[in-house]
Amino acid sequence: MKFLPLVWASLWRNRMEATLTLLALSVGFALFGTMIAVNAAYEQAVDDARMDRLLVECAFDCGAIPLGYREQLARIRSVTAVGALSWLSGHEQDESHPITVTLVDEGMRAAWPELGLTPSDWRALDATPAGIFLTRKAAARRRVRSGDTVTLNLPPGSRADGGTTWYFTVLGFIPDPPGWGAGPGNPQWNPDMIVGNLRYLEESVDLDERGMVNIMRVAVDHPEHAEAVCREIEARFTNATPALYCVPAREDAQELADANINMRQISLGIGAAGLFMILFLCANGIAESVRERLAEFGVLKAIGYGDSRIAVLVLLEAAFPTLLAALIGSAVALGVSVFVAQLAIKGVVSMPEVRASLRAFGWALAAALFIALLSAVAPLFRLRRTDVAAVIAGRG
Amino acid sequence: MSELRQIAAVCLIAAGSLRERYTTALVIVVGMACVVGVLSSMLSVTAGLTHAYVRPEDATRAMVWRGERSTFDQARGLQPDAVGAILDAPGIAKGPDGTPLADAEFVMRIPPLAGFAAGSLQLRGIGPAGIALRPAFRIVTGHMFRAGARELVAGVGAARKFGLTVGSEVRLRDGPWPIVGIFSCGADIIESYLVGDAVNVMAARRRTGFAQVMAQLVDAGAFPEFQKWLMENPALSVYVERKTDYDLRELGVNTTFFTRMTYVIALIMALGALIGVVKIMYAAVRARTREIGTLRAIGFGATPVVVSVLAEAALLGAIGALLGAGIAWLIFDGRDMWVWGAFQLRVAPSLWALGLAWALVTSLLGGLLPALRAGQLPPVEALRVE
Repeated sequence: MKFLPLVWASLWRNRMEATLTLLALSVGFALFGTMIAVNAAYEQAVDDARMDRLLVECAFDCGAIPLGYREQLARIRSVTAVGALSWLSGHEQDESHPITVTLVDEGMRAAWPELGLTPSDWRALDATPAGIFLTRKAAARRRVRSGDTVTLNLPPGSRADGGTTWYFTVLGFIPDPPGWGAGPGNPQWNPDMIVGNLRYLEESVDLDERGMVNIMRVAVDHPEHAEAVCREIEARFTNATPALYCVPAREDAQELADANINMRQISLGIGAAGLFMILFLCANGIAESVRERLAEFGVLKAIGYGDSRIAVLVLLEAAFPTLLAALIGSAVALGVSVFVAQLAIKGVVSMPEVRASLRAFGWALAAALFIALLSAVAPLFRLRRTDVAAVIAGRG
Repeated sequence: MSELRQIAAVCLIAAGSLRERYTTALVIVVGMACVVGVLSSMLSVTAGLTHAYVRPEDATRAMVWRGERSTFDQARGLQPDAVGAILDAPGIAKGPDGTPLADAEFVMRIPPLAGFAAGSLQLRGIGPAGIALRPAFRIVTGHMFRAGARELVAGVGAARKFGLTVGSEVRLRDGPWPIVGIFSCGADIIESYLVGDAVNVMAARRRTGFAQVMAQLVDAGAFPEFQKWLMENPALSVYVERKTDYDLRELGVNTTFFTRMTYVIALIMALGALIGVVKIMYAAVRARTREIGTLRAIGFGATPVVVSVLAEAALLGAIGALLGAGIAWLIFDGRDMWVWGAFQLRVAPSLWALGLAWALVTSLLGGLLPALRAGQLPPVEALRVE
């Protein structure tokens, strides 16, 4: 504690430069914090996708598989549930407002319990086939309430009656799912989650398109059985029309994270560049401060301060602004992360939700201490070599 | 002494004293190098993708695909009779043999194969005009697929990504298909695909509908009539788009968010660098106080002093920008990357220029307040500073 007045006096010696240094460091840490949060969001999104959920689709890009496969899939060993889903992707009032409705069948109660639909929600969906449930975010963005009508427009050909508009009634809301929002296995351009009833689609499309779905979601009894069940599914349907391709939901999420422009990898590089900037600024500030106060350090040495106490003083002087900047920067990073998430929602490519995390905060503090330590190395070497008598006499 | 000569003289004196202040100057150089390095590196992705997708010849090309969609839209496509009608449209260029330079293509995804790297492999079926429409197409190993045979050729990008060689096999619906050649195509995005005979591939998929038709028009001006003729034909129900627009739209799906992120990150970094420049230039003015006072006392005006501070900031920023862009160029330019397809990163000259402009604006804004302060220093007080 006795060092604090000395540290404070040295930091506040040139208020404007100290404030500017703190601001620049804070901006650097805000960038670093944002990049750590982006990186963590991708990792979390992959972790959120479960290994014991399998995505089953047509092996050769035909886009649809028969609903009749459901029973055959359910008979495979280790499979506990099978659900079917299809998507309707179109736009609301104009093409700048894309909308995707994920239409699920009853099997999803057990195959996709993470969906967040309660038993009463399922009953409501069953009673109103044209009903939908929106995640809170999807609802907030559209400013819809229960009972409102949501429309989805498609080019001609999607409805048996020749219409181009699908009308849905809002039945209620479900929690925002973690990770990619729409969940792995959904169209990657889908910015949010809206769940409807597959029966509505079945009753509305052309006769020749009934009984087909985009994918099936299979639940297995244990994550360790996922790969084996997938291989079993592919082997059983290899000569079927269409043949099937199966992938565990977590592997699919991993592939999605790697296939797009890999923000996860890039974020670490950007964070490192930000830290490098901070390091130079901080090291320069400490070196300047020590150079200008050589006489002061000479006096301290003359009155009995040893090298270790001087080292603590310089380290504290370096650590104080960096730690404070790490705190301010991490707080700012929260806001920036929300903005980044907004960019992703407004854009076309989906990105996992970026959230504040203790880990990002911990990394910022650790980086701040590391930078303070590195910044203090050169000035401390200089001070160790300083001739006390010379600096006090003004010759140092 | 004229003001211009005064400016030159003060700038030279400031540059001379830079050697004594090189550590502080280095902070601006390194800061700007980081900002421009990150900006150039990130934008090299979009530049590379744009180069792969949008080719100069695309300006005179058009894409046609089925407008009507079904719920499971891959299940339908352009039937052969519709393709025949499209080839009759006005404005399509003719090949040396008089046939229309337009090709019906078929695109399908193949699931990741055992032992291959993760990621979807795509197969494009092309017709007889497919090669004529791609003059840069060259077989680099093996031979071209034979029409009517169950053979495929792999683009160099796909071969690299998925470890494919001549003799590798990929499994389609009707069994294994051998890869008989590896091709290059002037860094076109088709290098990320497997390519085979469209009719054969469609037969293996048990499909009769093509995905799209790519047409070479006689010139860019032929597009409106070509589009009108096709889109107003009630028997066809197709969409028609210039190939450049089609490519940019496809590209936008992959790059819009990333480009936005790039500029947000570069802005944050530039803000940090700008504050750093303000701090460093204030320190520089402080270090040069006596020098400035002396110059003012012997008759130099305030403007040359202000300009010298701004010039110093701009010079350091420019050096940092060139350093950052140079490092990005050394590390990333020409490096292979895969984002839904193979392409090479490009730190193009336009990115060097953008980085330089970005750094100059940041440096000049950062140097403005210290420069004004330097210009307002009273000579007598400045001379008294120890």
